[in-house]
Amino acid sequence: MSQPPEDLGQKIKAAREKHGLETTPQDDRAKQSGSSSAAAMRVATDLVAALVVGTFLGYWLDEWLGTRPLFMIAMFFIGFAAGFLNIYRSQTGQTFRIGTGSIRKEPNNDKNDQTGN
Amino acid sequence: MSANPLEQFVIKPIIPLEIGGYDISFTQSSLWMGIAVICATLLMTLTMRGKAVVPGRWQNVAEMMYEFIAGMVHENLGHEGRRYFPLVFTVFILVLMGNLLGMVPYSFTFTSHIVVTGTLALIVFGLATLVGFMRHGLHFLTLFVPAGVPLALAPLIAAIEVVSYLSRPISLAMRLFANMMAGHTMLKVFAGFSVTLGVVLGVLPLVVNIALVGLEIMIACIQAYVFSVLTCLYLKDAIELH
Repeated sequence: MSQPPEDLGQKIKAAREKHGLETTPQDDRAKQSGSSSAAAMRVATDLVAALVVGTFLGYWLDEWLGTRPLFMIAMFFIGFAAGFLNIYRSQTGQTFRIGTGSIRKEPNNDKNDQTGN
Repeated sequence: MSANPLEQFVIKPIIPLEIGGYDISFTQSSLWMGIAVICATLLMTLTMRGKAVVPGRWQNVAEMMYEFIAGMVHENLGHEGRRYFPLVFTVFILVLMGNLLGMVPYSFTFTSHIVVTGTLALIVFGLATLVGFMRHGLHFLTLFVPAGVPLALAPLIAAIEVVSYLSRPISLAMRLFANMMAGHTMLKVFAGFSVTLGVVLGVLPLVVNIALVGLEIMIACIQAYVFSVLTCLYLKDAIELH
Protein backbone atom coordinates (compact mmCIF):
# COMPACT_ATOMS: atom_id res chain seq x y z
CA MET A 1 0.00 0.00 0.00
CA SER A 2 2.77 2.38 0.84
CA GLN A 3 4.44 2.29 -2.56
CA PRO A 4 5.88 5.50 -3.88
CA PRO A 5 3.83 6.80 -6.82
CA GLU A 6 6.71 6.86 -9.34
CA ASP A 7 7.29 3.20 -8.76
CA LEU A 8 3.64 2.45 -9.48
CA GLY A 9 3.76 4.52 -12.65
CA GLN A 10 6.74 2.52 -13.87
CA LYS A 11 4.98 -0.73 -13.10
CA ILE A 12 1.88 0.36 -15.02
CA LYS A 13 4.05 1.39 -17.95
CA ALA A 14 5.87 -1.95 -17.94
CA ALA A 15 2.59 -3.86 -17.77
CA ARG A 16 1.09 -1.82 -20.59
CA GLU A 17 4.15 -2.41 -22.73
CA LYS A 18 4.00 -6.12 -22.06
CA HIS A 19 0.45 -6.27 -23.37
CA GLY A 20 1.15 -4.00 -26.30
CA LEU A 21 -1.01 -1.19 -25.01
CA GLU A 22 1.69 1.44 -24.98
CA THR A 23 1.65 2.94 -28.44
CA THR A 24 4.36 4.85 -30.17
CA PRO A 25 3.46 7.54 -32.70
CA GLN A 26 4.39 5.15 -35.49
CA ASP A 27 1.92 2.56 -34.30
CA ASP A 28 -0.79 5.19 -34.37
CA ARG A 29 0.15 6.05 -37.90
CA ALA A 30 -0.32 2.44 -38.93
CA LYS A 31 -3.67 2.25 -37.18
CA GLN A 32 -4.96 5.35 -38.91
CA SER A 33 -6.03 3.32 -41.88
CA GLY A 34 -8.93 2.16 -39.73
CA SER A 35 -10.69 -1.13 -40.22
CA SER A 36 -9.40 -3.94 -42.41
CA SER A 37 -11.97 -3.24 -45.11
CA ALA A 38 -10.78 0.34 -45.27
CA ALA A 39 -7.21 -0.94 -45.59
CA ALA A 40 -8.26 -3.32 -48.37
CA MET A 41 -10.05 -0.51 -50.16
CA ARG A 42 -6.95 1.60 -49.87
CA VAL A 43 -4.69 -1.08 -51.32
CA ALA A 44 -7.10 -1.58 -54.21
CA THR A 45 -7.32 2.10 -55.07
CA ASP A 46 -3.56 2.54 -54.80
CA LEU A 47 -2.93 -0.26 -57.26
CA VAL A 48 -5.68 0.60 -59.70
CA ALA A 49 -4.91 4.31 -59.72
CA ALA A 50 -1.28 3.73 -60.68
CA LEU A 51 -2.31 1.23 -63.37
CA VAL A 52 -4.79 3.69 -64.84
CA VAL A 53 -2.30 6.54 -64.83
CA GLY A 54 0.44 4.39 -66.35
CA THR A 55 -1.72 3.01 -69.12
CA PHE A 56 -3.22 6.40 -69.90
CA LEU A 57 0.22 8.02 -70.04
CA GLY A 58 1.36 5.28 -72.39
CA TYR A 59 -1.66 5.77 -74.62
CA TRP A 60 -1.07 9.50 -74.70
CA LEU A 61 2.62 9.03 -75.55
CA ASP A 62 1.63 6.66 -78.36
CA GLU A 63 -0.84 9.15 -79.78
CA TRP A 64 1.83 11.82 -79.67
CA LEU A 65 4.74 9.81 -81.09
CA GLY A 66 2.75 7.52 -83.35
CA THR A 67 4.17 4.33 -81.85
CA ARG A 68 0.81 2.73 -81.23
CA PRO A 69 1.10 -0.22 -78.88
CA LEU A 70 4.67 0.24 -77.65
CA PHE A 71 4.41 2.79 -74.84
CA MET A 72 0.97 1.69 -73.78
CA ILE A 73 2.25 -1.80 -73.03
CA ALA A 74 5.49 -0.60 -71.46
CA MET A 75 3.73 1.98 -69.30
CA PHE A 76 1.14 -0.58 -68.25
CA PHE A 77 3.88 -2.59 -66.57
CA ILE A 78 5.50 0.53 -65.14
CA GLY A 79 2.09 1.46 -63.76
CA PHE A 80 1.88 -1.98 -62.24
CA ALA A 81 5.25 -1.50 -60.59
CA ALA A 82 4.23 1.97 -59.37
CA GLY A 83 1.05 0.50 -57.94
CA PHE A 84 2.97 -2.02 -55.90
CA LEU A 85 5.36 0.71 -54.84
CA ASN A 86 2.35 2.69 -53.60
CA ILE A 87 1.09 -0.30 -51.65
CA TYR A 88 4.51 -1.02 -50.20
CA ARG A 89 4.88 2.54 -49.05
CA SER A 90 1.46 2.82 -47.53
CA GLN A 91 1.79 -0.52 -45.74
CA THR A 92 5.23 0.20 -44.30
CA GLY A 93 4.03 3.50 -42.92
CA GLN A 94 5.92 5.48 -45.55
CA THR A 95 2.60 6.99 -46.38
CA PHE A 96 2.93 8.04 -49.99
CA ARG A 97 6.42 9.31 -49.66
CA ILE A 98 8.09 9.60 -52.99
CA GLY A 99 11.71 8.56 -53.31
CA THR A 100 13.24 5.46 -51.76
CA GLY A 101 15.84 7.65 -50.04
CA SER A 102 13.42 8.17 -47.20
CA ILE A 103 12.92 4.43 -46.78
CA ARG A 104 16.62 3.81 -46.33
CA LYS A 105 16.88 6.61 -43.85
CA GLU A 106 14.33 4.97 -41.60
CA PRO A 107 16.37 2.28 -39.76
CA ASN A 108 19.27 4.35 -38.40
CA ASN A 109 17.62 7.79 -38.73
CA ASP A 110 21.00 9.24 -39.46
CA LYS A 111 22.65 11.68 -41.77
CA ASN A 112 25.23 9.06 -42.74
CA ASP A 113 22.94 7.85 -45.47
CA GLN A 114 23.08 11.16 -47.27
CA THR A 115 26.78 10.67 -47.92
CA GLY A 116 26.24 7.25 -49.41
CA ASN A 117 24.50 8.36 -52.58
CA MET B 1 -40.44 3.28 -55.49
CA SER B 2 -37.23 3.15 -57.42
CA ALA B 3 -36.02 -0.41 -57.90
CA ASN B 4 -32.69 0.60 -59.32
CA PRO B 5 -30.16 1.16 -56.51
CA LEU B 6 -28.06 3.36 -58.77
CA GLU B 7 -30.88 5.72 -59.60
CA GLN B 8 -30.07 7.82 -56.55
CA PHE B 9 -26.89 9.04 -58.23
CA VAL B 10 -28.63 10.55 -61.26
CA ILE B 11 -28.03 14.29 -61.50
CA LYS B 12 -31.29 16.18 -61.90
CA PRO B 13 -31.30 19.83 -62.92
CA ILE B 14 -33.36 22.15 -60.77
CA ILE B 15 -32.81 25.34 -62.77
CA PRO B 16 -31.78 24.41 -66.34
CA LEU B 17 -29.14 26.75 -67.68
CA GLU B 18 -27.05 26.68 -70.82
CA ILE B 19 -24.39 29.20 -71.74
CA GLY B 20 -22.26 28.92 -74.87
CA GLY B 21 -23.24 25.31 -75.48
CA TYR B 22 -22.25 24.26 -71.95
CA ASP B 23 -24.82 22.82 -69.62
CA ILE B 24 -24.31 24.67 -66.37
CA SER B 25 -27.68 23.90 -64.83
CA PHE B 26 -28.17 24.36 -61.13
CA THR B 27 -28.62 20.71 -60.18
CA GLN B 28 -29.54 18.97 -56.95
CA SER B 29 -25.80 18.31 -56.59
CA SER B 30 -25.10 22.05 -56.63
CA LEU B 31 -27.97 22.59 -54.22
CA TRP B 32 -26.50 20.16 -51.69
CA MET B 33 -23.04 21.64 -52.12
CA GLY B 34 -24.56 25.00 -51.28
CA ILE B 35 -26.33 23.51 -48.28
CA ALA B 36 -23.05 21.94 -47.14
CA VAL B 37 -21.26 25.29 -47.34
CA ILE B 38 -24.08 27.04 -45.49
CA CYS B 39 -24.17 24.34 -42.80
CA ALA B 40 -20.40 24.49 -42.32
CA THR B 41 -20.44 28.27 -42.11
CA LEU B 42 -23.35 28.31 -39.67
CA LEU B 43 -21.72 25.62 -37.55
CA MET B 44 -18.48 27.54 -37.25
CA THR B 45 -19.98 31.01 -36.78
CA LEU B 46 -23.16 30.54 -34.74
CA THR B 47 -21.56 28.17 -32.27
CA MET B 48 -18.64 30.51 -31.66
CA ARG B 49 -20.83 33.58 -31.21
CA GLY B 50 -20.81 33.30 -27.43
CA LYS B 51 -16.98 33.01 -27.27
CA ALA B 52 -17.36 31.58 -23.79
CA VAL B 53 -14.22 30.70 -21.88
CA VAL B 54 -15.89 27.52 -20.75
CA PRO B 55 -17.44 26.24 -23.98
CA GLY B 56 -20.98 24.96 -24.17
CA ARG B 57 -21.89 21.88 -26.18
CA TRP B 58 -22.09 23.56 -29.56
CA GLN B 59 -19.02 25.67 -29.06
CA ASN B 60 -17.24 22.51 -28.03
CA VAL B 61 -18.10 20.89 -31.38
CA ALA B 62 -16.57 23.76 -33.31
CA GLU B 63 -13.51 23.92 -31.06
CA MET B 64 -12.93 20.19 -31.24
CA MET B 65 -12.99 20.23 -35.02
CA TYR B 66 -10.62 23.17 -35.10
CA GLU B 67 -8.22 21.57 -32.67
CA PHE B 68 -8.40 18.24 -34.46
CA ILE B 69 -7.35 19.71 -37.80
CA ALA B 70 -4.88 22.14 -36.22
CA GLY B 71 -3.23 19.22 -34.43
CA MET B 72 -3.11 17.17 -37.60
CA VAL B 73 -1.56 20.01 -39.60
CA HIS B 74 0.96 20.70 -36.86
CA GLU B 75 1.92 17.06 -36.54
CA ASN B 76 2.47 16.59 -40.26
CA LEU B 77 3.71 19.95 -41.45
CA GLY B 78 5.24 21.40 -38.32
CA HIS B 79 5.03 24.99 -37.21
CA GLU B 80 5.35 26.27 -40.73
CA GLY B 81 2.30 24.31 -41.80
CA ARG B 82 0.03 26.85 -40.15
CA ARG B 83 -0.37 28.71 -43.41
CA TYR B 84 -1.93 25.61 -44.98
CA PHE B 85 -4.43 25.21 -42.16
CA PRO B 86 -7.27 27.09 -43.95
CA LEU B 87 -6.94 24.81 -46.99
CA VAL B 88 -6.91 21.59 -44.99
CA PHE B 89 -9.77 22.70 -42.78
CA THR B 90 -11.89 23.78 -45.77
CA VAL B 91 -11.31 20.48 -47.52
CA PHE B 92 -12.09 18.56 -44.34
CA ILE B 93 -15.31 20.34 -43.47
CA LEU B 94 -16.62 20.35 -47.04
CA VAL B 95 -16.06 16.62 -47.45
CA LEU B 96 -17.40 15.91 -43.97
CA MET B 97 -20.55 17.94 -44.57
CA GLY B 98 -21.03 16.35 -47.98
CA ASN B 99 -20.72 12.86 -46.55
CA LEU B 100 -22.89 13.48 -43.51
CA LEU B 101 -25.61 15.42 -45.34
CA GLY B 102 -25.76 12.48 -47.71
CA MET B 103 -26.98 10.37 -44.80
CA VAL B 104 -30.08 12.55 -44.42
CA PRO B 105 -33.02 10.80 -46.12
CA TYR B 106 -34.03 12.31 -49.48
CA SER B 107 -30.77 14.20 -49.70
CA PHE B 108 -28.08 13.85 -52.33
CA THR B 109 -24.48 12.84 -51.66
CA PHE B 110 -22.35 15.00 -53.89
CA THR B 111 -19.17 13.23 -52.75
CA SER B 112 -20.44 10.07 -54.48
CA HIS B 113 -19.56 11.63 -57.84
CA ILE B 114 -16.02 11.28 -59.09
CA VAL B 115 -16.28 14.67 -60.80
CA VAL B 116 -16.57 16.32 -57.40
CA THR B 117 -13.94 14.26 -55.59
CA GLY B 118 -11.65 14.42 -58.63
CA THR B 119 -11.83 18.20 -58.71
CA LEU B 120 -11.04 18.39 -55.00
CA ALA B 121 -8.15 15.96 -55.40
CA LEU B 122 -6.76 17.86 -58.40
CA ILE B 123 -6.89 21.13 -56.48
CA VAL B 124 -4.96 19.56 -53.60
CA PHE B 125 -2.49 17.80 -55.89
CA GLY B 126 -1.97 20.85 -58.10
CA LEU B 127 -1.40 23.05 -55.09
CA ALA B 128 1.04 20.61 -53.50
CA THR B 129 3.01 20.41 -56.76
CA LEU B 130 2.98 24.19 -57.10
CA VAL B 131 4.23 24.60 -53.52
CA GLY B 132 6.99 22.11 -54.27
CA PHE B 133 8.17 23.97 -57.35
CA MET B 134 7.89 27.36 -55.66
CA ARG B 135 9.93 26.27 -52.66
CA HIS B 136 12.54 24.14 -54.39
CA GLY B 137 12.46 25.26 -58.03
CA LEU B 138 13.63 22.64 -60.49
CA HIS B 139 15.35 20.87 -57.62
CA PHE B 140 11.88 19.52 -56.82
CA LEU B 141 12.32 17.13 -59.75
CA THR B 142 15.03 15.24 -57.83
CA LEU B 143 12.06 13.79 -55.95
CA PHE B 144 11.73 11.35 -58.81
CA VAL B 145 15.32 10.16 -58.78
CA PRO B 146 15.93 8.56 -55.40
CA ALA B 147 19.34 8.72 -53.85
CA GLY B 148 21.68 5.80 -54.45
CA VAL B 149 20.10 4.40 -57.59
CA PRO B 150 22.52 2.95 -60.17
CA LEU B 151 22.68 5.10 -63.29
CA ALA B 152 21.48 2.28 -65.53
CA LEU B 153 18.32 1.84 -63.49
CA ALA B 154 17.61 5.54 -63.01
CA PRO B 155 15.34 6.02 -66.08
CA LEU B 156 13.18 3.07 -65.10
CA ILE B 157 12.94 4.12 -61.46
CA ALA B 158 12.20 7.70 -62.47
CA ALA B 159 9.35 6.52 -64.72
CA ILE B 160 7.90 4.42 -61.91
CA GLU B 161 8.20 7.31 -59.46
CA VAL B 162 6.52 9.72 -61.87
CA VAL B 163 3.62 7.34 -62.41
CA SER B 164 3.40 6.77 -58.67
CA TYR B 165 3.30 10.54 -58.10
CA LEU B 166 0.69 11.14 -60.78
CA SER B 167 -1.48 8.35 -59.41
CA ARG B 168 -1.98 10.26 -56.15
CA PRO B 169 -4.91 12.47 -57.17
CA ILE B 170 -6.57 9.49 -58.87
CA SER B 171 -6.36 7.27 -55.82
CA LEU B 172 -7.35 10.16 -53.54
CA ALA B 173 -10.44 10.89 -55.62
CA MET B 174 -11.30 7.25 -56.19
CA ARG B 175 -11.08 6.33 -52.51
CA LEU B 176 -13.66 8.88 -51.40
CA PHE B 177 -15.94 8.38 -54.39
CA ALA B 178 -15.87 4.58 -54.20
CA ASN B 179 -16.55 4.50 -50.47
CA MET B 180 -19.49 6.85 -50.73
CA MET B 181 -20.98 5.24 -53.80
CA ALA B 182 -20.57 1.68 -52.51
CA GLY B 183 -22.11 2.56 -49.15
CA HIS B 184 -25.13 4.30 -50.58
CA THR B 185 -25.71 1.60 -53.17
CA MET B 186 -25.62 -1.01 -50.41
CA LEU B 187 -28.18 0.90 -48.37
CA LYS B 188 -30.51 1.06 -51.36
CA VAL B 189 -30.03 -2.64 -52.12
CA PHE B 190 -30.97 -3.69 -48.61
CA ALA B 191 -33.90 -1.28 -48.60
CA GLY B 192 -35.00 -2.94 -51.85
CA PHE B 193 -34.85 -6.36 -50.12
CA SER B 194 -37.16 -5.07 -47.42
CA VAL B 195 -39.69 -3.96 -50.00
CA THR B 196 -39.69 -7.20 -51.98
CA LEU B 197 -39.67 -9.54 -48.96
CA GLY B 198 -42.87 -8.11 -47.54
CA VAL B 199 -43.78 -7.05 -44.04
CA VAL B 200 -42.71 -10.13 -42.03
CA LEU B 201 -39.39 -11.19 -43.58
CA GLY B 202 -38.62 -7.63 -44.65
CA VAL B 203 -37.73 -6.79 -41.07
CA LEU B 204 -34.42 -8.68 -41.39
CA PRO B 205 -32.92 -6.49 -44.13
CA LEU B 206 -34.27 -3.51 -42.24
CA VAL B 207 -32.22 -4.51 -39.19
CA VAL B 208 -29.16 -4.87 -41.40
CA ASN B 209 -29.88 -1.47 -42.88
CA ILE B 210 -30.02 0.17 -39.47
CA ALA B 211 -26.58 -1.23 -38.71
CA LEU B 212 -25.36 -0.11 -42.13
CA VAL B 213 -26.52 3.44 -41.52
CA GLY B 214 -24.36 3.52 -38.42
CA LEU B 215 -21.42 2.11 -40.38
CA GLU B 216 -21.98 4.64 -43.15
CA ILE B 217 -21.91 7.55 -40.72
CA MET B 218 -18.60 6.24 -39.40
CA ILE B 219 -17.23 5.86 -42.95
CA ALA B 220 -18.42 9.39 -43.75
CA CYS B 221 -16.25 10.75 -40.92
CA ILE B 222 -13.28 8.44 -41.61
CA GLN B 223 -13.18 9.35 -45.29
CA ALA B 224 -13.28 13.07 -44.54
CA TYR B 225 -10.39 12.48 -42.15
CA VAL B 226 -8.45 10.38 -44.68
CA PHE B 227 -8.92 13.01 -47.37
CA SER B 228 -7.55 15.77 -45.17
CA VAL B 229 -4.70 13.70 -43.72
CA LEU B 230 -3.56 12.84 -47.24
CA THR B 231 -3.77 16.51 -48.17
CA CYS B 232 -1.35 17.13 -45.29
CA LEU B 233 0.97 14.33 -46.40
CA TYR B 234 1.12 15.57 -49.98
CA LEU B 235 1.93 19.06 -48.79
CA LYS B 236 4.55 17.58 -46.47
CA ASP B 237 6.30 15.94 -49.41
CA ALA B 238 6.29 19.23 -51.27
CA ILE B 239 7.61 21.23 -48.31
CA GLU B 240 10.36 18.96 -47.08
CA LEU B 241 12.13 17.45 -50.01
CA HIS B 242 14.17 14.45 -49.00
